[in-house]
Amino acid sequence: MSGKRFYKVGRRPWELRLAPSGINERQRSRLPGTRGHWLKWRDVHNPKTLRRERVLADKMPLWWTLGLSFVAIVTPFLSNSLLSVVSIFCVYAAINVLWTLIVGTAGIFSLATLAVVGASGYVAAAANVYLGVPWPFMLLIGPMVGFVFGAVLAAPSTRLDGLYYALLTMGVAEICRVFVLQLRPLTATGGAITQVDSFIPEDWFLQRPGLLLGFAGAFLLLLGALLVWRLVNSERLGMLLRVARTGREDEAFAEAIGIDFRRARLMVFVISSAALGVVGAFYAMYFRSISPQIFSLDQMLMLFAMMVIGGLGRAEGAVVGAAIVTLIDKGLIELGPPRIILVAFIMIGVTIFAREGLTGARAQFRDFRNRKAGERRARRTEKGGEAMPEEATEVHDKQELYYRRFNKRLRERLKKLITPELIEEHRRDPLGHHSDELARVLNYFRRGEMADKYVIHRMVPAEEKFRVMAVSGQRGMPPRVIDDREYHDIKEAYHAVFLLRVNDLLES
Amino acid sequence: MDLGLIVYALNLASIYALMAIGISILWSSVGIINMAHGATFAVSGYAAWLVTGALKPVIAAAFGKTAIASAVMAGALVGSALIAGALCGVIIYLLAFLPIHDKPNFQVRALIVTLGLNIASVQGLLWTFGPRNQGLPKIFGFGRWEVFGTRIRYDQAGTIIGAIVVMGLTLAWLRYSRRGLEVRAMMQNAEGAAYSGISRQVTALPVLMLTGALAGMAAALLSQTIFVSPTAGVIPLVKGLTIALLGGLGSVPGAVIGAILVGFLEAIVGVIPFLGQRYVLFATFLFIIAVLIVRPRGIGGLLDDTRE
Amino acid sequence: MPELLEIRQLSAGYGPLRVLHEIDLTVRAGERIGLVGLNGHGKTTLIRALTHMTGWQQGSIKLDGAEIGGTRSLGAGRRTPGLIRRGIGVAPQGDAIFPGLSVRKHLECGAHTKLAWRERRQRIDRVFDVFPPLRPLEHALVGKLSGGERRMVSIGRMLMTEARLYLIDEPSLGLAPKISQRVMKALWDLSVDGAMIVAEQNVSLLTGHADRVIGMHAGRMRGDVGHVELV
Repeated sequence: MSGKRFYKVGRRPWELRLAPSGINERQRSRLPGTRGHWLKWRDVHNPKTLRRERVLADKMPLWWTLGLSFVAIVTPFLSNSLLSVVSIFCVYAAINVLWTLIVGTAGIFSLATLAVVGASGYVAAAANVYLGVPWPFMLLIGPMVGFVFGAVLAAPSTRLDGLYYALLTMGVAEICRVFVLQLRPLTATGGAITQVDSFIPEDWFLQRPGLLLGFAGAFLLLLGALLVWRLVNSERLGMLLRVARTGREDEAFAEAIGIDFRRARLMVFVISSAALGVVGAFYAMYFRSISPQIFSLDQMLMLFAMMVIGGLGRAEGAVVGAAIVTLIDKGLIELGPPRIILVAFIMIGVTIFAREGLTGARAQFRDFRNRKAGERRARRTEKGGEAMPEEATEVHDKQELYYRRFNKRLRERLKKLITPELIEEHRRDPLGHHSDELARVLNYFRRGEMADKYVIHRMVPAEEKFRVMAVSGQRGMPPRVIDDREYHDIKEAYHAVFLLRVNDLLES
Repeated sequence: MDLGLIVYALNLASIYALMAIGISILWSSVGIINMAHGATFAVSGYAAWLVTGALKPVIAAAFGKTAIASAVMAGALVGSALIAGALCGVIIYLLAFLPIHDKPNFQVRALIVTLGLNIASVQGLLWTFGPRNQGLPKIFGFGRWEVFGTRIRYDQAGTIIGAIVVMGLTLAWLRYSRRGLEVRAMMQNAEGAAYSGISRQVTALPVLMLTGALAGMAAALLSQTIFVSPTAGVIPLVKGLTIALLGGLGSVPGAVIGAILVGFLEAIVGVIPFLGQRYVLFATFLFIIAVLIVRPRGIGGLLDDTRE
Repeated sequence: MPELLEIRQLSAGYGPLRVLHEIDLTVRAGERIGLVGLNGHGKTTLIRALTHMTGWQQGSIKLDGAEIGGTRSLGAGRRTPGLIRRGIGVAPQGDAIFPGLSVRKHLECGAHTKLAWRERRQRIDRVFDVFPPLRPLEHALVGKLSGGERRMVSIGRMLMTEARLYLIDEPSLGLAPKISQRVMKALWDLSVDGAMIVAEQNVSLLTGHADRVIGMHAGRMRGDVGHVELV
């Protein structure tokens, strides 16, 4: 920046804003193999400095990179117990991110996520222990089971409403638990499969190198889950579903323009179920065992609490919530039952005060501030020409608001000028020399917007026969006739237009 | 089928119906899926245990071992459970309804808050009283009746009769009292209710207290058969929810029919030799899932269809 | 005559949409006002704004001199029951009936004041006198009635207490012409102390009966005070 020094004003003076030169062509590198860009830089016009500025429109990638690299760098230096806490956090976060895909993107309120994880973990572990399949193949068996299980689970979701489906999936988890507990070969271990082979060598298990390896695996798992989330959301499937996201009306709209959103939802469900299968196999390997505890209601509620605290339906919410709850649950383990109560109270507090969890708090606060500012503004100006709170936040150009306010005040003044004498004066002589009041009113009419104006139409060429028409204000839309009255004098027609405009003015 | 089995089935059905009706009424009038219903159940059970434990010496001193003593004991047990349940309802009203009832996403948020209340109170009970089971005094005594060659335990008969009486009272209240009329109006059309001067904030409190008291009654009755423990509410909650769904949320007759169906199903599955008690839950869920897939709106939907 | 309702600079809408634009209206006690306008020009929104059922609103509404308006950007419907209890009777668009209640119970719902509840029998009789076709249907479920009968039930519910201001939204909507004329006739024959505002698309049902007919166009008033007559 050269020349004059500008003081930064507004709500985010610290925000990084580049000054593009405007001479050179813009260079943007693309993600290899796709048409996407690395970061979302956008050029904006600053109305105060009249300069072009380049801002980062979406800052989430930066936060993700910062947060994840912090975890990756700091964790290896932690103590053994904290190391395992972080690894468990990564696993839970991965499950939650994939669950977010089901709840947020697909909009299916499924509570069987852990059931999918558990089922695929069990099958993979059983294949390893009883059939002797080597451990790398478990990572293939897991997703296959997840795929099949997900397809079976997804089928009724098109038929049942949200809550009914949620309860049904809860039932499925319970059925899984009972089923596993019934299995004869597992009764000796209380339903658990132990001695599962793993990517962590047996003599490293629960030792420092094993824990580090476990953390590395869990971290990669989380990255993989985030990649799946990102791919589904940014590609075709996610875009289709974004149309049918919020309500029944949107669904009807999506259907009307030919989007088969039910199929897209099922696809997302099945994809994330397959990914959950990988998590299941990893889970069995990481702990070298798997127990029916994974199907229990408590475990499911714990994961649900993570999502709720972070923000339902957001990937960052899933990860942040997992971090908070895992820290309380596993980090403060010596506290006993009160730590669960603490989690429950956090969950209640967040739900009462935050619309969309902790990660949505910022946007909620902004909405709140804008609304209050709008209400204050509405109260300050005594009336009219002023946008209402919601509208004020919608109108980007604040000049527009001031213009409206000015116009309103002007109209109020002009309304007082209009008297029978004034109208009489215009009737006598529409084109003549006018008094000051009439000139002011006519001036206001002249500079009105096109859509408010009227035209006089000569009905037959070269004949004194006129009628008044209203301009549509849209290109290509012809003026429309407003009444069937005909005037045989152009002055009468002028006066008719004047009366119409006066009427409009008084009504506004 | 022998009579004992029928009595056992009705016993289960009456407890389930008490839970399911509460959930169903609450959902359709206020719009809360009450996940804290199980917590209400457990808390009322503990309240009854505490009160009866404290009153036992007093009553023994005042009346000795007479019929009046056991009647007073029964009154204390049921009364304390009902009051505790109603108080839980007030807490739910204050936390899950009042702060968020006109905010966006109310239904999901209320569900989450009640879920949090459920977790918190179960863990709180676990923390205060420990995981031990606590037995309550048997208000119906220990005897049996001989009816048509089968023996019916007093507590079973008492449970069935008590549940029927309470449900009858509830339905009568809904049907004939003015407050009940307001609740029913709100269940059917919230906007119309607002235009009739029926306030949601005011009406929600008695509804929550009523459903809480129903859960308390269920706890008092079930405590005659099994012990009270911190996690005692989980199974009744899950059963109540699934039965309310099976009945079609919001339909009281649907919930009653669903409870009877599930009660009989469980009783029958329990005595089939190669299935046994361990498969009871399994069979219930399979049955409910099957019904919901065929009739997505449950039995209530079926009733509506036949009425049309 | 005293001014019963005084609306000043009332704007209202839903979310980003602004439906009413600074409405001014004064209603005196005993007046029957017809509100005419095409679909989507704000008749219903005006009636909803009077009972705080719109998404947001701004501006002053005075009922008998007491302020019931104000600026509000959330909380639709929160104040409605309280306003109804202060003496506004509403027969909303689409009737808002309770399909599973009988006609009798339905009318009892409308009797929300203590006095009305005590006298509910006489009052139900009075409604049956106004709408004779309802008498044989006393115990029928409202969900099974025809459109005209539902409209009568909805208006009857409004008549169960003495309101000072009656708001009737589209009494002829969706009814056969004969039935809608019958409903309108019953409405005009009512003797009410307070004022009545009837929103209606069909002007011919209003002319000759309403004391004043006010046009609504694009969220603004047309044809009331301050209007300059065209030559």
